[in-house]
Amino acid sequence: MTAETGRARPPLYVEDVQEGMEIPSLVKRPTTVTLFRYSAVTWNPHKIHYDREYVKEEGYRDVLVQGHLHGAYLVQMLTDWMGSQGMLRKFAWTNRRPGFPGDTLTCRGRVARVYEENDEHLIDCDVWEENQDGETCVPGTATIALPSHPR
Amino acid sequence: MTSESMITDEARALIGQESEAVLGEVTLQDIQRYALTIGDDNPLYFDEEYAKATPYRGIIAPPNYLTAVISWGNGVPEDELTADGLGRRRDGEYAFPIKAQRRMAGGQELEFHQPVRAGDLITRKSRTTGMEQREGKSGPFVLVYSEQRFFNQRNELLVTCHQTAIMR
Repeated sequence: MTAETGRARPPLYVEDVQEGMEIPSLVKRPTTVTLFRYSAVTWNPHKIHYDREYVKEEGYRDVLVQGHLHGAYLVQMLTDWMGSQGMLRKFAWTNRRPGFPGDTLTCRGRVARVYEENDEHLIDCDVWEENQDGETCVPGTATIALPSHPR
Repeated sequence: MTSESMITDEARALIGQESEAVLGEVTLQDIQRYALTIGDDNPLYFDEEYAKATPYRGIIAPPNYLTAVISWGNGVPEDELTADGLGRRRDGEYAFPIKAQRRMAGGQELEFHQPVRAGDLITRKSRTTGMEQREGKSGPFVLVYSEQRFFNQRNELLVTCHQTAIMR
């Protein structure tokens, strides 16, 4: 265990989930430091994430949140919610609108379908990340496998 | 008015060709730096005892880690980078044979088959699956579709990724 370790995520069971229910939201406020470190850990030299002069040439008002970081935020919302016994099976997202340092990015989701396949309980979810103006930056979908409540 | 084609014959010839690359080893530090950077303190990435009691049976990498890494290995020397910093330059354009100066990630569709663990030696099989030119508000752009499959040292499929890159 290291100092960074957070609380245990309580388990989520398929019996706790209904179609149409909302996934608890996750709020993120990335800074220029977040973007710098994300580029560093993914060894990404793309200037649109750190060079404020260059990014104006591409027509943006500020450096851009990495598309994969938007994806990572949505994944975190899902893994927080699915708890210690869930497994993320599929995840897809589309970068539709840019995010900037200082934005308040809220990840949200809704259960679209609960079903069984190959003796597993699966949950399909619609997910999206929106900015402080309520605009959708990144829509996506996910599939999670959940256990049944122990009897 | 239709713009001239940005897609070269050389680019079209790439469709369907598979390439394989040994990317290198994922370390516990890679996993934990990534989790720390995105602000995710899930003990699944930090606490082996906790992680052993999950269906993953040990610490894993955050699910989108592998497909978020842009350069494996050393990357490109600075004086060979394109103007936007992202690619390797060739005649002022990307080594990828599309007549474009700028590139962005459009999105990914990921399927997680097996978790990625510290010590895994990763191999990637990639192929371009298609490309199409479209007209946008600020001019033409090309969507390049590709598939990447990531394997560990036991040749187990870890992640399948269908990716869209936007080049303009």
